[in-house]
Amino acid sequence: MKKTALALCMLLVLAKAGLAQKYFTKNGTVSFEAGTALEDIIATNKTAASVLDAATGQIEFAVLIKGFEFRRALMQEHFNENYMESSKYPKAVFKGKIVNLTPALFQKPGNYPVTVKGVLEIHGVKKEITTSGSLAISGTTVQALAKFPVTIADYKIAIPGIVSDKIAKTAMVSVNCNYAVLK
Amino acid sequence: MTTWKKIAIAVVLLVVTAVLYGLYLYNKKPQNIKQADSQFEITASGLTTAFNTDESAATKQYVDKVVSVSGNIKDVKIEQGGTATVFLDSGDPMTSVTCSFYDTEAAAVKKLKSGQQVTIKGVCTGKLMDVVLNKCSIVQ
Repeated sequence: MKKTALALCMLLVLAKAGLAQKYFTKNGTVSFEAGTALEDIIATNKTAASVLDAATGQIEFAVLIKGFEFRRALMQEHFNENYMESSKYPKAVFKGKIVNLTPALFQKPGNYPVTVKGVLEIHGVKKEITTSGSLAISGTTVQALAKFPVTIADYKIAIPGIVSDKIAKTAMVSVNCNYAVLK
Repeated sequence: MTTWKKIAIAVVLLVVTAVLYGLYLYNKKPQNIKQADSQFEITASGLTTAFNTDESAATKQYVDKVVSVSGNIKDVKIEQGGTATVFLDSGDPMTSVTCSFYDTEAAAVKKLKSGQQVTIKGVCTGKLMDVVLNKCSIVQ
């Protein structure tokens, strides 16, 4: 009887240790496309920080606005100074939850579609968003992929009329993060 | 030549120059940081301490500047696409220096080992969990 109880206890402890795993990355990639037929506008940030809690499905991302790299110097300057006001709002943050996550998922390697719901903060404006993505789980690493549209006007980012034909009303944001176990 | 002709030529020249200058500005590539002179030389612990003590002052001083940071390598990560990142130990377990390299530098970064002393040059973009440097290359 005692042995069974002990074994049960140990099992619980082990299961908890396995499930309570947290994953993190500091070099995730977040990029966006906001071009039109008139102009290609692509920017990439390779130093996104993200934490994923396997037990609760909580997921957070943060990027430095100044970390977005453009192909043209002037674009990057306008993006930072005129549109995103990156000195005033240096970060973009997403805090949310994977809604269809079962913690046991992380025990089983494979590729899983996920739905993420949360609050995206850009340019000091918070807005609730829902997006689909995928998690590729293999041993101790997790890769998260997602692609979602961001309507620029929702975040009170003013695009002057003279360039409004060149910049898309909606930017497509892509996320690619390779997580390692947080020790 | 009459005066109005002179004026017309001057105006045309001015417009052509303005258009050319506009095109030049529009097509200008971002500065190549590998060839740029560093504006600051600092240790990894000096840089993280600056951000941890007064983030807004450190932001004013270092962000958007070319900074050479020296320290011991905590970790090296090379992603499948060839993106190379080096993490410098600052002595503070909570804050390191994340150095994201030019894709062309991946081969050089591959040779680096954890624990090795290194100096890396890049543009400081601010602090998230770590202080972040972009467009990095190895100085030494």
